[in-house]
Amino acid sequence: MTKTRWFMLPVLVAALALAFQPGLASGQAVKNPDTFVAVSFGDWDSLDWAWAYDTASFGVIFNIYEPLIFFEGGRMDRFTPMLATAVPTIQNGLLSKDGKTYTFPIRQGVRFHDGTPMTAEDVVYSLRRFLLTDRSGGPSSLLLEPILGLTSTRDDKGNLILKYADLTRAIRAQGNNVIITLKEPFGPFLSILAQWSYVIPKKTAIARGDWDGTAATMRKYNNPKKESMAFFEFANGTGPFKLERWDRAGRQIILVRNDNYWRTPARLRRVVIRQVDEPATRILMLKAGDADADLGVTRRELPQYEGAPGIRIIDDLPTGTSTNPAVFFTFNIDCAGNPDCGSGRLDGAGIPPNFFSDVNVRRGFAYAFDYNTFLQDGFRGKATLAKGVIPRGMFGFNEKQEYFTFDRARAAANFREAWGGQVWERGFKVTVLYNAGNVVRELGARILKDNIEAINPKFKIDIRGITWSSYLAAMDASKLPVFFIGWLADYPDPHNFTFHFMHSDGTFPHVQKFKNEEVDRLVTAAARETDRAKREQMYFELNRKYFELVPSFATVNAIAFRVQRSWVRGWYWNPMFPGTYYYTISKG
Amino acid sequence: MTVFIARRLLLLPLVGIGVTLLIFSLLQLLSPQQRAALYVTDPRQLQAIDAIIREHGLDRPVYIQYVQWLGRVLQGDLGWSETAKMPVARAIATFFPATLELTLYTFLPIIALGIWLGTKSAVHRDQVIDHFSRLFAIGGQSFPTFVWGLLLLMVFYGAWRLFPPGRLSLEANLVVLDPTQFRTYTHLVTVDALLNGKLWIFLDALRHLALPVITLSLVQTATLVRVTRSSMLETLRQDYVRTARAKGLEEPRVINKHARKNALIPVITLSALLFVGLLNGVVITETIYNYPGIGRWGANAAIQLDAPAVAGFALFSALLLVFGNLAADILYAWIDPRIRLG
Repeated sequence: MTKTRWFMLPVLVAALALAFQPGLASGQAVKNPDTFVAVSFGDWDSLDWAWAYDTASFGVIFNIYEPLIFFEGGRMDRFTPMLATAVPTIQNGLLSKDGKTYTFPIRQGVRFHDGTPMTAEDVVYSLRRFLLTDRSGGPSSLLLEPILGLTSTRDDKGNLILKYADLTRAIRAQGNNVIITLKEPFGPFLSILAQWSYVIPKKTAIARGDWDGTAATMRKYNNPKKESMAFFEFANGTGPFKLERWDRAGRQIILVRNDNYWRTPARLRRVVIRQVDEPATRILMLKAGDADADLGVTRRELPQYEGAPGIRIIDDLPTGTSTNPAVFFTFNIDCAGNPDCGSGRLDGAGIPPNFFSDVNVRRGFAYAFDYNTFLQDGFRGKATLAKGVIPRGMFGFNEKQEYFTFDRARAAANFREAWGGQVWERGFKVTVLYNAGNVVRELGARILKDNIEAINPKFKIDIRGITWSSYLAAMDASKLPVFFIGWLADYPDPHNFTFHFMHSDGTFPHVQKFKNEEVDRLVTAAARETDRAKREQMYFELNRKYFELVPSFATVNAIAFRVQRSWVRGWYWNPMFPGTYYYTISKG
Repeated sequence: MTVFIARRLLLLPLVGIGVTLLIFSLLQLLSPQQRAALYVTDPRQLQAIDAIIREHGLDRPVYIQYVQWLGRVLQGDLGWSETAKMPVARAIATFFPATLELTLYTFLPIIALGIWLGTKSAVHRDQVIDHFSRLFAIGGQSFPTFVWGLLLLMVFYGAWRLFPPGRLSLEANLVVLDPTQFRTYTHLVTVDALLNGKLWIFLDALRHLALPVITLSLVQTATLVRVTRSSMLETLRQDYVRTARAKGLEEPRVINKHARKNALIPVITLSALLFVGLLNGVVITETIYNYPGIGRWGANAAIQLDAPAVAGFALFSALLLVFGNLAADILYAWIDPRIRLG
């Protein structure tokens, strides 16, 4: 018997066993009816909303904490009051006529999970703390920009430029109201607040060593380390679920229902979010009913769920809010002790830290990526090729925008030009990275490797997957030379993409060390432009710049889908949600 | 025998120093910033890496660094693991019990079955049991662990729902995590379940252990069967065995008392390595079965260049190996007195 046939033997045995599988299927009784088990790959970065900036972490955070206002159902453009009692509009008088001052009446009778009442003072503290935190590449710019007109709280030398007086003037309490005054009117401001106005208890924060809310200690709490933050792995919110445990040994987060919730308590008693790296194990767990949703499934694994009894696949969900994945280059890599740079020199065994500062190298990579194969194999055709940084369907997207296609000849031509011909002559070795467990991004890395190595035998690409939180840490430290990552909009506006993909204070350019002053100016100007037609043209221009400068290149705009047990009730989709909103869910 | 053991024990500190020197030398290949993580025990210290470099003299002569590092290691301070998000020593203490439990449940069947089947196979050479044992050995070794792992998971969990992955079911896990309902004594769930008088958790843990144990046993027993068989065949050809038979001793006595005991020397060596190998974690098995053991943590740490975790894990593995070899030495001496006399 040949080796291949030997290998087929266990598959045959498994197939026979599966053929005699007992009929659990659709008639299966609901397992753990009051507990929802979600499985996914990857871990959680932080539970502090002022620091975290990834979907895995926020998938937990937005079930524990609550914002002032929230998206109304699946709508991205309508809001419902949450910790505020009304959504400010000019009509109800809570938004000033100049569009700059928002008044939020704070809901009374809401208590944090530890039983202390939530006050306007807590709201003010939470928002000010969010602005002050402003960790490098973090989310604070989302509110810094509209409220204070800043994209960062630090100057180029790292000195704190945020003034306490500006903070207190812009965000203040007046009785039970919280008043926020913007630097300039900012259209998507309410969209931002719908996800970025979570409230933490001031007293608890201070008791746990966090900022005391005064001017004197501001510097210490600006751009802090993740683990030093008070709510890194501790939580005390007002939301429908409380953090019961972040079980690192068991690689799971357990949430328990907040029975003293200000609305009707959730129907689920517990939510368990488990990290299960092996896709086959996740699939079997969902099929067996030991999990209720596979949050880590990609289209590559989807056929294994198709037709499975008791499993519901919800496909073709409205999207247009994510660019995922894109391939990023770090312009000045931290190569110290970093094996991903190889030798650290352009000698065929590595790359220098500034390897990607040559646009020809970046273009070489972009032309060497086989987009159609990626689309077919990674997404089974259920995606469209990305045309620039703004996702299809969003304002500012340009159907006529030139975009990269797989073109080995042009890739080779660019590599020949790069570094005055040295790249072609000497070759290079570099690592392309992705977050471990994401089989689609892994596929993308393999495609890039195969195609680039085929161009010149002196080109060597390694690929490596890293656990999510460590991946983000390495990215923040500018240690990843080339990496795959995606972006889910914080609010449905092109500024959220152009800023974080192109502006030097944005999440990615900051870690990439990409800075182009003309682009910075254009990004800021486009955000402030009030004439819609002019604004659209500005985003077209930014997309052209994105293609020309290639700080990164987007691959596809995927169509969202979800896989869960048929017994899951009450789940709904909002493209802005970073994860599952468990409050409305029940099983049965 | 006591003198022999004492001599071996006296060698341990020297071996330990050798191991630490080796690991420390490898750490010198890293940047001072990466090595500074070895001195972090609280994540808040990560804010001041430069201060740590100065404080611990990471830019000073290597021998001074070694002495300082060794001092901390001896106090159980192995630095901060970014992968586990906790101090390395705590990570080892957190993940090791699961692996230890898996090892204990795996090792005994492997030894019992491996030695029994290997002996039977040699004694009944070219008979049915021999053919069966060789087929078993070939089957066990022919497929990689991940093939066995996935196959067993598909059949026993996917199809028959008998043995689920993980360490405990949801219900049992929630009880075990609740200190008001479950007291942890040993961190071995099966033992703690019995000590808490919760038989259902004990049985639940056994259900979850079943597949990893079967997978590892299939793969590892095959090796032991082959080694035992060949060693037994060699021994059975020795003159003293022929003499024993000529003296009229019954066959079971010849096999069990005279032949097998002498054939066990290479088996003990293999068993010691196997035991230590299992204790170091079995990455693929732990990953497929989502079993929270030390192997998966160690492998993740290596992939993510988590230097303190890798150094701590290497040190821990080396210590296990040293003690595993010591145990093997003692067993050799017990089985074959010539070893301790030599």
